[in-house]
Amino acid sequence: MNTTEIPLKNPAVSAAAGDTEQLERAYIDASTRVPVLMFYTSAIAWLIVGTVLAMVVSFKSHSPDLLGGISFLTWGRLRPAHMNVMVYGWASMAGMGTAVWLMARLCRTTLRYPLLIAAGGAFWNLGVLIGVGAILLGDSTGFQWLEFPRYVAIILFVAYTLMASWAVLMFRHRRGDQIYITQWYLLGAFLWFPWLYAAGQLMLFVVPVQGVLQSAVTWWYANNLLFLWFGAIALGTAYYMIPKVIGRPVYSYHLATIGFWTYALFSSWTGMTRLVDGPFPAWMVTASIAATILTMIPVATVGLNHHLTMQGYFPLLRYSPTLRFTVFGAMSYTVFSIIGVLISFRSVASYVDFTQVSIAYSHLGLYAFFAMTMFGSMYYIVPRLVGREWRYGSLIKLHFWASAYGIGLMTLMLLAGGFLEGANLENPTLPFSESIETVLPYLRGRSLAGILLTVAHFIFAYHFCLMLLGLGRTSTVPTFLNPVEAETSGGH
Amino acid sequence: MKGLAPLFLGIFGTFAFSWIGLTVIPTWQIGHLNPESDEEGTDIYPRPQSGMFQRGAHVYAANGCVYCHSQQVRADYIADDIERKWGDRRSAPRDYIFDRPVFLGKMRMGQDLANIGARAPAPEESPAPAGAASPAAQGAAASPASAQAASPSPAAQGAAVSSPSSPPASSPATAPAASPAIAASPNASPPPGQRTGVASPSPGQMANTTPGGSSPAAPSAQTPGAPWPIQTAGLPPMYSAAWHHVHLYAPRSINPDSNMPSYRFLYEKRRIAGERSAESLQLSGPDAPPDGWEVVPTYDAKCVVAYLMGLNQSHPLKEVRSVGGAPATGGAPSPAAPGAPPAPAAGGSPAAPK
Repeated sequence: MNTTEIPLKNPAVSAAAGDTEQLERAYIDASTRVPVLMFYTSAIAWLIVGTVLAMVVSFKSHSPDLLGGISFLTWGRLRPAHMNVMVYGWASMAGMGTAVWLMARLCRTTLRYPLLIAAGGAFWNLGVLIGVGAILLGDSTGFQWLEFPRYVAIILFVAYTLMASWAVLMFRHRRGDQIYITQWYLLGAFLWFPWLYAAGQLMLFVVPVQGVLQSAVTWWYANNLLFLWFGAIALGTAYYMIPKVIGRPVYSYHLATIGFWTYALFSSWTGMTRLVDGPFPAWMVTASIAATILTMIPVATVGLNHHLTMQGYFPLLRYSPTLRFTVFGAMSYTVFSIIGVLISFRSVASYVDFTQVSIAYSHLGLYAFFAMTMFGSMYYIVPRLVGREWRYGSLIKLHFWASAYGIGLMTLMLLAGGFLEGANLENPTLPFSESIETVLPYLRGRSLAGILLTVAHFIFAYHFCLMLLGLGRTSTVPTFLNPVEAETSGGH
Repeated sequence: MKGLAPLFLGIFGTFAFSWIGLTVIPTWQIGHLNPESDEEGTDIYPRPQSGMFQRGAHVYAANGCVYCHSQQVRADYIADDIERKWGDRRSAPRDYIFDRPVFLGKMRMGQDLANIGARAPAPEESPAPAGAASPAAQGAAASPASAQAASPSPAAQGAAVSSPSSPPASSPATAPAASPAIAASPNASPPPGQRTGVASPSPGQMANTTPGGSSPAAPSAQTPGAPWPIQTAGLPPMYSAAWHHVHLYAPRSINPDSNMPSYRFLYEKRRIAGERSAESLQLSGPDAPPDGWEVVPTYDAKCVVAYLMGLNQSHPLKEVRSVGGAPATGGAPSPAAPGAPPAPAAGGSPAAPK
């Protein structure tokens, strides 16, 4: 990594060190401007849509008569609409934007045919729009995370091919011999996703597998989408952003390599843990539990690597928005994985299966880990695309704290409520309704957390709009969360 | 360039490993199960479902029922699903071979529905008030049966033997066209709800099933006494088709604490023309329509109720031990014994339906 872009140093000084490199980077960034900004804009638009849907879903789950009796506003349609907007609209678009930008940067090559990629993005948006409309109109397939009807899958697949093939081609045109660890993750994600999506579609719709195996395929798909698509992008991003912002190489490249391969090998096998005691061969579940435990190896190596890279630089969290969001995401990866291991044990799983715990778990992965890392990368990348700095440090701070407290509160509520719910469910002397009564207060708490997240997302969207409209600050110094002068304090 | 081939190979290899391991091998292992039958090749279970059932499954999917209701019963030594009377044996892969999509579910904000059809009151001769799709629904007047405590398996009361009169057909294709008529006149033709059939004469001893496919319709002698847990006066018998309609339309009229959304968009409120429709819902209280009006199910509502009434895993399977019934013949002490998953043990052996 070169260190010419340490935000805390005076840029004028470092620019002199590598003028040509600086120029080259600006040139590469410019080539990605249209598609990446387009991806980000649509991602944030979907984020807002998904957040509004989430709020309605959350309130309806404890007040079922709210907006009741209307077919397209029924809970059972809004919920998959929310999930799919977040997964395919927000998360995939944001991840794609960051991944394309990182790929161009790391391959040190300009993005060819940016308009084609942008067209792919437009197709993707169209696909998500039709898909969500289809769900709301009652054309859901009923398979979790694959609710979009088959015709939408075709649109998404074509759009994806348009977008990803150019990103992969950049790798072909890369300059320099070294392949950075981030490129491994991104390349993995770009190649895994189409295979995954195609396999899911084929095995569920084209040549459907028999009976319960549809469930197995669904879980395998959803799990791998989380790990091999979103997780891989987020980890790759963290491996880029953390060293970049603090201006220090990754602590150990060997650890990073071990982390990557064990991640690919083990996390792709963890999908069946939620099928404990279901109508499946026991070995499937056992293999997944074993794999889940083994994911502690990548968690440990990645976490250790990030930690040792950050060592001595933690005070920078006080200033850099990118660093703060990314480190939050990286830490959440550890928490997410540890909770994943805990709830995969058979003894625990028999309690928490069929409860809100699984929702807490997926939000930890998709939001606390993935989305927060993406926010961090957006705070880094957007100024380099629009040529302005973020306007208000205070808004970034608000965004961070509302998001962090929101997702923290939500996770706690759902975990605690889920465990109590599970304990009551497993107590046959209590009527079934008792378990629902138990979890209701926690669902209200979840709605509260949802309000925090909504605030965070609206603030972020507003701030992003300012940037798009060219209303950012014209400054050579990045926007810090706190004034740099106050460097004596210890940070968060 | 060095190191690039291993990178690509590794990326593909790890993924292929997981794909083959978690989807291809299981398909090879339990992906080609056949229905089971007894020695004479009769009493086949499971059977393909009616067209109304299939359409009901799509209504079930479209409205997201799966996000709150599971359809799987776990073994008695692991969970208390069986103690909660959600079934009398654990679910096995074979139970689902005709289900598409499969709704195993992962959340229980509502009860497990794997055997909801089996929990319906036993059929009687009187026609159902709500245009029931399945004969069990016709038990509107049946004594709300009971014996949750006494009988080891209330689900057994609906022990399924598919009604022999209906052609093996029930092939999904045939029904949709015909079904509105069927639904409208319950007595007209063989009921579409295939699996909810005839109650076993001896509740609680379902394992030794009724002979062949020709068992007569013997209404089960349900032990009177213990009522359904929250059966409310003035409502149809719990889990009957009429009850499902009322429950879907106004969940909180049945259970004030219910957290289920109302699906009243599946129903039509209309002015009574002539005489009150036989299908109209037995509503009371604030949910009742004004005088001169009635609430009737749409076709989708009838389908989803037909679907619910058809959910029935009470038929014994050789590979799974039924609680209170004959043990499985599989020999394995517990169906979940590691390495001896339920289905594959007997995989492929039983004859397919002719």
